Amino acid sequence: MTQPFRLAEGGLIDRSTSLAFTWDGKRLTGHPGDTLASALLANGVHLVGRSFKYHRPRGVFTAGSEEPNALVQLDRDARTEPNVRATQVELYDGLVAASQNRWPSLGFDVGALNGAFARLLPAGFYYKTFMWPATPRWWLRYEHAIRHAAGMGKSATAPDPDSYEHQYAHCDVLVIGSGPAGLAAALSAARSGARVIVCDERPRFGGELVGDSATIDGAPAAAWLARVQDELASLRDVITLTRTTAFGVYDGNLVGLAERVTGHVATPPPFAPRERMWKVRAKTIVLASGAHERSIAYANNDLPGTMLAGAARAYVQRYAVRCGARAVIFTNNDEAYATAAALEQAGVHVAAIVDARPDGALTGALPGHARAGGWPIVAQSAIRIAHGATRVKAVDVGALDPASKVTRRIACDLVCVSGGFNPAVHLFSQARGKLRYDDALAAFVPDVSPMPILAAGGANGRGDLAAALADGHAAGLAAVERAGLRAIGSSAPHAEATQAGATRALWAVPAPSKSAKRFVDLQNDVTANDIALAAREGYTSIEHLKRYTTLGMGTDQGKTSNITGLALLAERLQRTVPEVGTTTFRPPYTPVTLGTIPGHESGPHLEPVRETPMHDWHVAHGARFVNAGLWRRPHSYPRPGESEFDAANREAKNVRANVGVVDVSTLGKIELQGRDVAEFLNRVYINRWDTLAVGRCRYGVMLRDDGMVQDDGTTSRFAPTHYLMTTTTINAARIMQHLEFLLQAVWPELDVAVSAVTDQWAAAALSGPKSRDVLAQVVDIDVGNAAFPFLAVAECSVRTAVGNVPARLFRMSYSGELAYEIHVPAIHGQPTWDAIVAAGATFGLMPYGTEAMSTLRIEKGHVVIGPEADGRTTADDLGLGGLVNKAKWCVGKPLLERPALVAADRWQLVGLTAMNGATMPRAAKIVADPNHPAPNPMLGHVTSWCFSPNLDAWIALALVANGRARHGETLWALSPLADAKVQVQIGPPCFIDPNGERLRA
Amino acid sequence: MLEDRAIGSMAPGCYGAPGQGALTLREIIIARAWNVQGDCARSTVEAAVRERFGVALPREPNTTAANDRWMLLWLGPTSWLAVAAAADSASDPSFNASRDALNAAGAALFDVSAARAGWTLAGPRAATVLAKACPLDFDARAFPTGGCAQSVYGHINALYYRQGSDTFTMLVSSSYRRDAWHALCVSAAQYGYEVLPPQAV
Repeated sequence: MTQPFRLAEGGLIDRSTSLAFTWDGKRLTGHPGDTLASALLANGVHLVGRSFKYHRPRGVFTAGSEEPNALVQLDRDARTEPNVRATQVELYDGLVAASQNRWPSLGFDVGALNGAFARLLPAGFYYKTFMWPATPRWWLRYEHAIRHAAGMGKSATAPDPDSYEHQYAHCDVLVIGSGPAGLAAALSAARSGARVIVCDERPRFGGELVGDSATIDGAPAAAWLARVQDELASLRDVITLTRTTAFGVYDGNLVGLAERVTGHVATPPPFAPRERMWKVRAKTIVLASGAHERSIAYANNDLPGTMLAGAARAYVQRYAVRCGARAVIFTNNDEAYATAAALEQAGVHVAAIVDARPDGALTGALPGHARAGGWPIVAQSAIRIAHGATRVKAVDVGALDPASKVTRRIACDLVCVSGGFNPAVHLFSQARGKLRYDDALAAFVPDVSPMPILAAGGANGRGDLAAALADGHAAGLAAVERAGLRAIGSSAPHAEATQAGATRALWAVPAPSKSAKRFVDLQNDVTANDIALAAREGYTSIEHLKRYTTLGMGTDQGKTSNITGLALLAERLQRTVPEVGTTTFRPPYTPVTLGTIPGHESGPHLEPVRETPMHDWHVAHGARFVNAGLWRRPHSYPRPGESEFDAANREAKNVRANVGVVDVSTLGKIELQGRDVAEFLNRVYINRWDTLAVGRCRYGVMLRDDGMVQDDGTTSRFAPTHYLMTTTTINAARIMQHLEFLLQAVWPELDVAVSAVTDQWAAAALSGPKSRDVLAQVVDIDVGNAAFPFLAVAECSVRTAVGNVPARLFRMSYSGELAYEIHVPAIHGQPTWDAIVAAGATFGLMPYGTEAMSTLRIEKGHVVIGPEADGRTTADDLGLGGLVNKAKWCVGKPLLERPALVAADRWQLVGLTAMNGATMPRAAKIVADPNHPAPNPMLGHVTSWCFSPNLDAWIALALVANGRARHGETLWALSPLADAKVQVQIGPPCFIDPNGERLRA
Repeated sequence: MLEDRAIGSMAPGCYGAPGQGALTLREIIIARAWNVQGDCARSTVEAAVRERFGVALPREPNTTAANDRWMLLWLGPTSWLAVAAAADSASDPSFNASRDALNAAGAALFDVSAARAGWTLAGPRAATVLAKACPLDFDARAFPTGGCAQSVYGHINALYYRQGSDTFTMLVSSSYRRDAWHALCVSAAQYGYEVLPPQAV
């Protein structure tokens, strides 16, 4: 046996299997059932880390998730993880772990010199010291050095190989914690027929009962646990979750649970997520999260070999590990006497039980038993100081009387300390529950909450087994009633009550010297003196104290220290503990792995992706894609060796010379039906609609209430009561919402129904002088100029390889060329596209992407919602003022008359041509004098720009002050970021075919 | 886990962890789906719908009504989705004729036959896999057979209906087809799943 501190029997470990693991490069062994902490202790390793500030040697302090000291680095290649609590890491074969926060080694740490200079490093030292010289640059240097010194592990650099997922769940009763109270609550709720979820952060159910020798309902605890778990497993409406931490309570009784699914095994099974985040909607919550034991601040109370009394007992009972050979117990309550008994049974010599309470107060059953057994109880006394270097060697014990200087030195290698218990009220407090200070327990306990959350057992200040079982049982029944079900009575599990004495509040032992460090917060190296100093400096609010001293920060969030710290502040301020109050409890209860939060929605799946029906064709034909909202749209189709820039220019040029086809399926499409559609359109668009005939379409512009342009598009009329509206791709949902709001809230009397049909229709725009020739090959109607003029629409059929497809045909133009749009049901999109491409082969047809489409519309001077209509532009600014119908009202029209919106110096849409063959800078401002000292007065800015292959020049659209009056002027486009100054000629926004002859050809 | 490249494939076959028949996924092909809108309290609307579909509009939120040719799903107080059974023949009145009839009665009818992609999930893990990314309560007491509801799958809007104790159909806008399918598959892979050939509804 290579584990010298492993007991020969007992515990819940599997001695038949040995697991090899590596600690700081050293090979050690443990057993299934061990945590990394228990395995290290079994091997006699107590020194597991260095402290945050003073780099003092530290050992395992707890046996649970509240561990402040034993933060380790788990080395699993890409799964490398820092700041993991060794007390929660389940041992597996091949585990590699390393200590953190030390340099060059754990045994010898240069940073420990900080301890010698401790007087120069008081509370808030970095606020005081590193603020000089007062420039941010210096702070960054200091910060780098501090980070290295603090050295909180290293994060992985490779991509996370694991997956994470979410799971929604609903229940009547969520029980958080599976100790005696939690299981009793789960049983009583489940037996009433409620839907129950029980979760526990540990790998097995039972809480403090695990490994315990208590008797419940006449059976040993282990047998009772097995029976209860069998019963819960047999009920269809019960979900039991181990390794699952309830980390947050949110509005509407939403509780976040983090389930560690595969992190504890050497080789995760394929396809299983590493962690699963449960989002539980619980009608009621039973909080049975137990209590956290707390320490007492005495000098050198941080030496390795010092741990909470309950932890030392847990290591014996659950893991069969004795944490030392000779122990001293220091307590202010009865519970630590159980540790003394367990240690004695495990062969650890208990050298002394130092009890802060006077002899007459030791009336409980456990001290009575100890006294009867002749154990060395030292009453009304305290440990004044502990001695040792990297392990405790002895303690000085003296009377708890400031006047008394007499101390007795007791040799020991283990100190078990218990300063009482803090109910784990965190989630109750997150649920906006109020806390009440209980003097008898010297702790905060749950009081009332506006949410349906009931605390039970240790979390409710009722940690005694008999009380916890009864409390849990009652809470389960009460929770069922609050969930609206009928509680079905059953008897509570029974255990013999133990006669317990009161806890004596003791937070800190008087310091034997000024330099002695009495730690309150082990993780953040906050001492009792730091708290006194902060109080002297005026940090009298507990929230300020926390920020100033870092008390209660870090991965443990002060689970073993917060209450002690605030009690010391209260003593200092001569206030009561409840007057000082607690800091706010916020999620998460314990750290949650970042990957768990997005779940599957990370990397390429961060946002959903929308694809058009022709997406695969675009991919197969070399398209480069661009995001338009959630849509993926082809940007261009570069040929081998061709740049995207050249491809877009080729595509744009081909449209004006021959014919091109572009996928416009992403356009927002909204259908309208009803008797009053024309009236409705009159009210939402600036132009007139009651004159639109069946078989025709029209361009329209919509304003916001404030008169600014909101969207543009076309609306077509297919039947007397049936219209189709198109919107900008990215505005589809917003316009639908706008229309629905107006119909439901403003004009419910109108007979208009709207339906979003974007996904119903695949759409292709066929554009160029030869587009009619191509179209005539594929549709079954006469598309001649007379039969199907500009702005005509019709229902027709497209001949495709899979047969005739019903289609809607539109003659409209975005490019300024003769152009058509063909809409077919999405499932027919690809065959229709294929038919168009095949028919176009002899006419020089090329597909084109959004880049060429943008070039074509800039050449034509068409505005786009966003660049030109940027939310600050009116229709008149964009040159669309003529569309505003004078004779009718529409949304936004009343505010168009505001003086600022009709001022002479409004920025108006113009076209720019870069002079002397220069390249137009992107994001340029327009100025009169490029050499004017900054700030250079701004006359406007470029909104869209491109190289025009058809004009062989760089052109742009711009908004320029009083721009329409400046046609012919020469100004400058200035881009200080690109260090560009380009002379530009101002002109009308339309560069090509200003009279629109091509599109009517 | 390392994501298996096969996860997300639409080809029939078994994927993910060795399955115990816990889940089958089958894409459904909708031949005809129409959005009916109108005030069902108006007798003309009620009569026109009954005339066209042979079934009354379900007025109770999140319920469906069906006969052998049409299933009507409640979408809102004045909106329904009518999905034709696969057997619905081409001899039925055309969309335009139906639209005109409903328009005349003061109701509206929109053709959304190609607007949605959908899958039927069947097996003991069906509800679990839906609940990976949908906050609805799929317990039969909250979502009985014959019920329907609109919610999300991840970030994607989705419409669900339940055909049996372990059988659900999920519909999403067709542009999300590949993305929603991928999300379903990665959620299901840990249990193992079988992709069945697509089927007309």
